[in-house]
Amino acid sequence: MKRCPFQRKLSLILILSFLIFFGCKEYSEHTGGVTVTMKEATAPFDDKEIVESIPRIPKNPVLVNTRYQGGFFWTETRHDKIERFRCSNCHNNNEAPIDKAAKVAHGNIVLVHGPENKPLKCFTCHNQDERDFLNTERGTKIEMDHSYQMCGQCHFRQKRDWVGGAHGKRISYWAGKRTVMNCASCHDPHSPKFAKKWPKTYSLALSD
Amino acid sequence: MDSRENKKDLIQKRNTHQDEKLCGRREFLKGAVKAAALGGSMMMTGCGTSLTGSKEEFVLEWKEYFKGNYRLMTQEERDETVRRMERLAKLKMGADVKISSRGPRKQVLYGYAFNISRCKGYMDCVAACVKENNLDRKSKTQYIRIFEKEHGNMNVTSGNGKYFHEVPAENHFYMGVQCFHCENAPCIKACPIKATWREPDGIVVVDYNWCIGCRYCMAACPYWGRRFNWNKPEVPLKDLTRKQHYLGNRMRTKGVMEKCTFCVQRTREGKMPACAEACPTGSRVFGNLLDPKSEIRYVLKNKKVFRMKEDLGTDPKYWYFMD
Repeated sequence: MKRCPFQRKLSLILILSFLIFFGCKEYSEHTGGVTVTMKEATAPFDDKEIVESIPRIPKNPVLVNTRYQGGFFWTETRHDKIERFRCSNCHNNNEAPIDKAAKVAHGNIVLVHGPENKPLKCFTCHNQDERDFLNTERGTKIEMDHSYQMCGQCHFRQKRDWVGGAHGKRISYWAGKRTVMNCASCHDPHSPKFAKKWPKTYSLALSD
Repeated sequence: MDSRENKKDLIQKRNTHQDEKLCGRREFLKGAVKAAALGGSMMMTGCGTSLTGSKEEFVLEWKEYFKGNYRLMTQEERDETVRRMERLAKLKMGADVKISSRGPRKQVLYGYAFNISRCKGYMDCVAACVKENNLDRKSKTQYIRIFEKEHGNMNVTSGNGKYFHEVPAENHFYMGVQCFHCENAPCIKACPIKATWREPDGIVVVDYNWCIGCRYCMAACPYWGRRFNWNKPEVPLKDLTRKQHYLGNRMRTKGVMEKCTFCVQRTREGKMPACAEACPTGSRVFGNLLDPKSEIRYVLKNKKVFRMKEDLGTDPKYWYFMD
């Protein structure tokens, strides 16, 4: 019987190509990538061990009325960051001497919020009768600490993202009880758009 | 006559040749002994940086020089080397540093998302990173690059990384690039001595004492994520971040590779990386990919996301998303 002279070489090439083929497929076949690893992880993460080392920041967070995918979450307080809160200290029916009123009044506030043809006014948000509170379009009284409910009336998409975690940011810790920043922690409610400014630093070329 | 003279010449030549040979061997041996002595002394004193150190420093340096790869050390050995390094930092720089060797947490895989429609290019993240990770101030090393790109430009290889003007500029968006901590990282494969590896929590780290500075990893990284110490890193003592990690922000030496570690010294304590904490616009989302209720999982589930050069199959754990 006559043997084909290339038979041996052919089988060798075949074996080699198999090796190369399977060698290359190793990564994706074993793990399927991070997307698969992630999808397979459905068990709730137990962060007890980490939580023990985490102090609560800030010290007196506000429990948010809405829940996120992981349950309750907290946000920063607002009323202690407002200068001269409570507003009813001045905004009451008592008389105030004019010179003192001029000193403490807030005539410097410029309102740049809302569409140009229909800008917001003070009492779009502030409750006219009880100045310590905010007022929704429906006329519900809202505490300053829960101002996200006010913003969420128009900015509902941003609020949905804020609840879920795609807008805004957590305070200091990625683990433990979720405490996020309030809307007004970053945005000035009277002119919410971020201002133009100089960057904090600069970069050199990576290779020159 | 001629032949005799030739013979003489030959003998003479042979003799001189022998002399040369002998002389060469002696010289060589002498030289070798000298070189060995010099090399040994240099080893002891950390490549001749401080020939006039104290005895304690000398002993510590000697022990440090012969320690093993971090991954092969037992926990006791790790604690020992950490103690030695802390003492050396005190002796050399007069700084009270605290170096941690905390291992990865269980059921944690770190992931990062960057909001390209929200970043304004303020670069607070870059400044915070430099401060936190004790990056060299002399060569202005930075782990993070922010690229200014025109609207509609989705070409990842173009963009202005050297902008310095008031931001945000009209008709531009900003894209942050750093180490993506790839699951299938090419830099790890390129390292000939296994000085860089992926930790179980997904962070790609470098053992600065094991790195030989060949820069193969730098060439292998398709994202320009790695930085090399061309000079001895210089950090003013008052700006030194004291809380350090063996695999993170402890002081590097000249000639070793370094890179973003997702601030391993912070994240393993449950904290956010310095860049995410510093961001004034909330463009940076950090979290545990294995936690179904985490923010990062929400972003990946509900937003339009993409990864840079995904077709390379590097499988980065860093996504870009837009509102």
